[in-house]
Amino acid sequence: MKIMRVRTTLVSTNRIDAMGHRPLLVVQETPNGPRSVAVDAVGCIPGDWVICVGSSAARDAAGAKDYPSDLTIVGIIDHWNPEAS
Amino acid sequence: MEVWRVVDELVCTRRVPEMGSASLRILKGQKGDISVATDPVGAPPGKWVFTAAGTAARMAMPDRTVATDLAICGIIDGWEEEA
Repeated sequence: MKIMRVRTTLVSTNRIDAMGHRPLLVVQETPNGPRSVAVDAVGCIPGDWVICVGSSAARDAAGAKDYPSDLTIVGIIDHWNPEAS
Repeated sequence: MEVWRVVDELVCTRRVPEMGSASLRILKGQKGDISVATDPVGAPPGKWVFTAAGTAARMAMPDRTVATDLAICGIIDGWEEEA
């Protein structure tokens, strides 16, 4: 699992049916690092520090074994100090 | 899921039967890296898209037996490139 920070929501009107209407968020591991897209299974807002799972756990966490996700947010971290780590 | 820009379509007539007739796109990543993805959406060149990698890519295809490890899941409505 990775600790990431939610940047913004991602709007994608034209998406495959298998993805349904699950909310998508832009997440970032480091402030200037590459931005990834994650499926939001908990309901978080921009600025939240979250934990994300990858690979087949991402598909399970998104709600179904056949959901096409490779990165899913599974939890919001209550307190996180990025400088301390 | 990663964010990419569609560079071009990719024509590949001679391919393994496992790939079926899936359309292919050349994608450029945020660091300038180039990859090829199967496209169940129909994304035109120039659009920003997000993809599923690994086994999830097969789940994204209408036919799950298609041999792919990177598939486009959707076209992003608004995306600002960072310097």
